[in-house]
Amino acid sequence: MFAVGSLWDIVFLVALVIAVAPFFGAYLGRVYMDRPAFGDAILAPIEHAVYRLLGTSPRQSMRAREYLLAVILVNGGVFAFLYGFFFFQGLLPYNATHAPGMSWDLAFHSASSFTTNTDFTHFTNESQLSLGSLMIAWPLALFVSAATGLSVLVAMVRGFVRRDGTLGNYYVDLVRTMTRVLLPLAFLFAILLVLFGVPETFRNLVVAHPITGGTQHLVFGPVASYTSISLLGTNGGGFYSANAASPLANPSAASNLFETFVMMLIPFSTPFAFGQIIRRRNESWPYMGTILIVFAIAVGLFIAYQAATNPALLGIANLGAQSNGYPVGQETRFGLPEASLFQVVSVYSNVGANNMQISALSPMAQLVLLFGMFTQSTPGGEGTGFATLLLFAVLGIFVGGLMVGRTPEYLGKKITTGQVRWAALALLVHPALILVPFVVAVAGGFVSTAGSIPVSAHTFTAVLYEFTSEAANNGSALSTAQFVDSSTFFNVTGGIVMLIGRFLPIWAMLQVGGKFSEQEVLPPGPGTLRTATVTFTIYMTLFLIIVSVLLFLPVIALGPLAQILGGA
Amino acid sequence: MAERSPGPSGTSGHRPKHALSTGRHVRATGLFLVLMVVVAGFVYPFVVTEIAQVIDAPAANGSLLHYPNGTVAGSSLVAQNTDAPYLFWSRPSLSDYNLTLGAQTAPGPSDPNLTALLNETIAYMDQYGIGTVNATVPFWWAAPSASSIDPDLVPQAVLVQVPRVAAANNLSIGVVTALVNKHIVNPPFPDIGVPYVNVLSLDLDLIAMTGR
Repeated sequence: MFAVGSLWDIVFLVALVIAVAPFFGAYLGRVYMDRPAFGDAILAPIEHAVYRLLGTSPRQSMRAREYLLAVILVNGGVFAFLYGFFFFQGLLPYNATHAPGMSWDLAFHSASSFTTNTDFTHFTNESQLSLGSLMIAWPLALFVSAATGLSVLVAMVRGFVRRDGTLGNYYVDLVRTMTRVLLPLAFLFAILLVLFGVPETFRNLVVAHPITGGTQHLVFGPVASYTSISLLGTNGGGFYSANAASPLANPSAASNLFETFVMMLIPFSTPFAFGQIIRRRNESWPYMGTILIVFAIAVGLFIAYQAATNPALLGIANLGAQSNGYPVGQETRFGLPEASLFQVVSVYSNVGANNMQISALSPMAQLVLLFGMFTQSTPGGEGTGFATLLLFAVLGIFVGGLMVGRTPEYLGKKITTGQVRWAALALLVHPALILVPFVVAVAGGFVSTAGSIPVSAHTFTAVLYEFTSEAANNGSALSTAQFVDSSTFFNVTGGIVMLIGRFLPIWAMLQVGGKFSEQEVLPPGPGTLRTATVTFTIYMTLFLIIVSVLLFLPVIALGPLAQILGGA
Repeated sequence: MAERSPGPSGTSGHRPKHALSTGRHVRATGLFLVLMVVVAGFVYPFVVTEIAQVIDAPAANGSLLHYPNGTVAGSSLVAQNTDAPYLFWSRPSLSDYNLTLGAQTAPGPSDPNLTALLNETIAYMDQYGIGTVNATVPFWWAAPSASSIDPDLVPQAVLVQVPRVAAANNLSIGVVTALVNKHIVNPPFPDIGVPYVNVLSLDLDLIAMTGR
């Protein structure tokens, strides 16, 4: 076990994020409101020039259907560009490592993965991806998918404060996200990452001459600029296949804490952006409370299980004591609490970067990570995570209203069958996207196991983790040597799961927002459920946990629980 | 605020405008994506790289380590195979320290392959008398890392190698221990991360000292 004193830095980091979030969230909210905002003097003329170029203007506010059309067009364009680039990367420039073009199914999986903010990879970056793909194609998706998530969230939230049926202009939201949030922050954080020791160069390949002879090929590139937007935008893709475990992407314990902060910044601030846009800041806290309760339990459990001794290794002769955490699949420099915080933040914010190997974790720690992807909303990915929490709230208030005989209304807007139907659809499609392909893969014999080993509980968990990560647009992977996920079956089903798991909930979020936007605001009456309260916070937390557990308990029992109970 | 630009949000006055035609949407999308490829794929990495090369060129170029004659020996951020009796060893690598192979998967906690792997590593180290020096092989040394190229080692795992390295180089244990102690990197603040030794820079200093 580790000394309790060594937890001070992760407690400090979380406290720092909680202290910064109300202020940064308020700024974030103002970006999407028609108010004078910081940076207007320089940015407003640029933005207006871009609007004119695109042939649109902030005055053209879109209804849900048109907003969705714009989202599909822009993201479809990103998908097509990435698919083409990956398929033909062998012929395109910036390819010093001679990466061949991808097969159609791998290109489909990769393009789906990056467009949907998932960044799940079925390839080895260092040998199967050209520098051009890493520098030109992939970052387009890193920026646009993050900006899309935030845009969809604010569009939905505007439904609470508008009465004309419109949700804003998607192109304007994208442009303002780029100029006022993602580009300046990604730029600043990239420079800081260089100061932490992360490479940033266009020399792709350096041949080194080790002391003992032979050669070693070192692959470099614009790692800092790539990593910065990958983490800030909750994408989670890695420049290297080892992702944030690679010393080249995460060189020290200090850089590890910094990268944790970068991942937390936007997801933990969005509740306050919500409060800013609806002009009721105290409505942010119930959600922040819900997120923090679930998140704190997750971090605590994860650290406890990672600090525990692995009983399977006690019989090994001459092996030193298991102290300072469990080293298999871990890096030396981070330290146990710091590495654990990074990993839990990454999965719970649907970033999906990893600074350790998830397959080497204890089954309980794996279960903690799975739970974060089941809820998708504590705090969840850029924009869509909090929008998912709002969908939970719509359902929760409706159910709660029925139970206590209150009018189901939220922020002066009535919750009708229309909203409930869309919210339920978005939340139910998630387990369906995990369980259906999971059953097909296992029962259909698509899980190719090494040799003739039957599907073990560990492999079972790996397949479950694969589809959970894809359905939640997370991107972290539990890859094991026994489970090969780069087959045509897993490329195609995985790609489809990611696309549906991204765009069907987005459709639902826009529909819910659109329906709210068509309604008049009701004055609060005696039957109104007050939501800015501790009671509502506790109710939301329990509602979220119970719904998630009920949806997923059967499948947890077959994978991680079987491992924990059976020791298989 | 310009009075004639009611913007993306607000509580009132949003008369629904005419929706853009699909053709106008396609045009806006195309132009936006071209702009984004230029900004995200070229301007952003080029500007960051230009600045990085000015403010911290050694880090930006991959923290390369050189021999006295200027040849690149490696990177302090990528472990190498230093499997010779006269050198300090890094953690074992499942990719044989080949960065281009990517990270290789470590076996799960109850996987029989894990026990086999650890036993094999320990048996190899025992040949060189690690077992007789310290009675045990530090767990953090024998276990496979996450990146397969972890360049660092806990100080305890470096110190158990001192007798072997000192004997192979005809140096006294005191001299080698002093060299190791010089290479222990302590956290900048107490308890942020753990103390560690960068094995490749230690080995380069060692061969500079012995003149091998």
